[in-house]
Amino acid sequence: MIRKIAASALVMALALPGISQAARVKIGFVNSITGPEAPIGENLTNGVTLALEDLKKKGIEVDLIKEDDTGKPEKSLAAFEKLATRDNVAGVVGPYTSACSSAVASQADKYKVPLLIPAAAKEEITRKGYKYVFRLNAPADVYSSVLMDAVQTIDKPKTIAFIYESTDFGTSTVKTAKEYAKKLGIQEVADEKYQKGAPDFRSTLTKIKSKNPDLVFMVSYVVDAITLMRQSKEIGLSPKAFLGGGAGFTTAQFLAQKEISNMVMSSTQWTDDVSWPGAADFAKRYTAKFKKEPTYHAACAYEAMVIMAETASKNGGDRDKTRNGLKAGHWNGVMGEVKFADYAGFTNQNNHQMLVQQVQNGKYETVFPPKFATKKALYPFKWK
Amino acid sequence: MTFSVLLQSIISGMLVGGVYALIGIGLTIIFGVMRVINFAHGDIMMVGMYLTFFLFTLLGIDPFVSVLITMPLMFLFGALMQKVFINRVLSALPQNQILLTIGLGLIMSNSAMLAFTSDYKILTTSYSSSSYSLGGISISQPLLISFLITCAITVGLYWFLMRTDTGQAIRATAQDREAAQLMGINVKWMSILSFGIGSAMAGTAGALIAPTYYIFPQVGSAFTLKAFVITVLGGMGSIIGATLGGIIIGLVESVSAVTISSEWKDVVVFAIFLLVLLIKPSGLMGKSRL
Repeated sequence: MIRKIAASALVMALALPGISQAARVKIGFVNSITGPEAPIGENLTNGVTLALEDLKKKGIEVDLIKEDDTGKPEKSLAAFEKLATRDNVAGVVGPYTSACSSAVASQADKYKVPLLIPAAAKEEITRKGYKYVFRLNAPADVYSSVLMDAVQTIDKPKTIAFIYESTDFGTSTVKTAKEYAKKLGIQEVADEKYQKGAPDFRSTLTKIKSKNPDLVFMVSYVVDAITLMRQSKEIGLSPKAFLGGGAGFTTAQFLAQKEISNMVMSSTQWTDDVSWPGAADFAKRYTAKFKKEPTYHAACAYEAMVIMAETASKNGGDRDKTRNGLKAGHWNGVMGEVKFADYAGFTNQNNHQMLVQQVQNGKYETVFPPKFATKKALYPFKWK
Repeated sequence: MTFSVLLQSIISGMLVGGVYALIGIGLTIIFGVMRVINFAHGDIMMVGMYLTFFLFTLLGIDPFVSVLITMPLMFLFGALMQKVFINRVLSALPQNQILLTIGLGLIMSNSAMLAFTSDYKILTTSYSSSSYSLGGISISQPLLISFLITCAITVGLYWFLMRTDTGQAIRATAQDREAAQLMGINVKWMSILSFGIGSAMAGTAGALIAPTYYIFPQVGSAFTLKAFVITVLGGMGSIIGATLGGIIIGLVESVSAVTISSEWKDVVVFAIFLLVLLIKPSGLMGKSRL
């Protein structure tokens, strides 16, 4: 495999000796490589690895400088400052989590380094008018609105319960979810924040069960999603739909828990069966290379790296020109159409179309919006 | 809020508290006998979790049955740690002892990361999300089994310390190391024994939590903190205190989550913790004796 790539790269290099933009570009990449977010961080790393291979084929050599923030904002900040001052990168892709991204975003304008955030959801990141901060993925409000829109096409639910982790990602997603629920006339019956990584949610879930909500909306990273669903089953919580706000509900590990993951709906930035150019091919190559199925984070990181490297290389690694290139550019790849626009209070935000996927027979199926759906949503929810 | 919701939260709080107690008991024995504060306690528990995980995935041994293997193995692990490392610093300054245990913990969690990566391991058994229903109250099957195992172990341990010669020797060492030595007790051996017991308890707690929780190299730190709260609340060195402390913490967490909100449960736990320390600084059962 490696030899093949090397060979094809060599052929490319020989065939296209005169590419003027083939200059090497130095790009920084901040990610949660270790720490509690590492399982998702791995997807981002792999996505970037694939991006580098593809960029090489296009004649763009990237000197990638990887920094691990272990999921902690202060480390993320230190990593970004190092990239900006010592490594002199043309631009930075990352970090992963909302907390890290919002810390780093505040520094991008200070150092005038273009920052492209691939997958962090907190809305404020692109709401503060930062000139050098760009975001590829849809912000937190879409995580919940797309799910409720999906349910609205099937049923008119009356009540909703929220259970979510007390992090930037959890609180910002639920804040907008509440506003949207109010707009749709869905009554909120429970609002339960929890400490990430807690082993016991039984009493909280029992409380929610006693309110008998039509919808249960959960926001969690990685494995709390599994603990929550296991204990929901244990105490017999059975709403008309379990809605998961991305992250932990979209991983292969969650999918593997067949007993509890079936029929759970989740919002996502990307699925492998969506009709965006190269999405299916990306999934196929990713699975072949890493022996794991990609999550949406992988696709986000892939596209972010491609966009950043192409723009930086076109502008000879100049930071200001790269920034202007990002602002003016337009792409259409594995994440669909990408354009960094100013709208509804956002700056440099890609107005990305989120999707809803549902676990059906041990597979993630895209069920909303109808334009991209591969299967019809199963409703109401039943325990297997 | 209905009565059944409250009852449900009391029952699950008690059951979770039982496992917390087991972690606390291990820590309290180690402190009681050696006066060493073991900051590696959660990491020892992590080792127990990985052991359980691999016994299950590679050999297909049920987590609750594998306690029979995990416990003696973790005993040996702890005894070795005591013999090779801790025994050397018993007369050193407390901060040096703390540094040593923190260091050992870091080595354990980082070695685990090297060997098993930072991926979360999820142990799925056929009963991971099963429960018994009793008049509208659901009782988690894995949690109930863990609770019963915890009870059996605690009673057995208590009997061992109170009724056997070796148990008495351990208690004598805890009360006065030098006097015990003068009475012909091999205090070094007692230290090895009690660190072994302590880490066996931690490892067992890890094994019992594994089927309902998840496993990763840094899982220990959260439980180390919990173990400290439990032991200090119950009184450093007191087994009954640690048992009580564990169940109280479990109960408070669970009940405050339904009556106030899950966001506030840790605040309630620590408020009660501080209150107890204000009124009785040595902890609930604290006499600094086993």
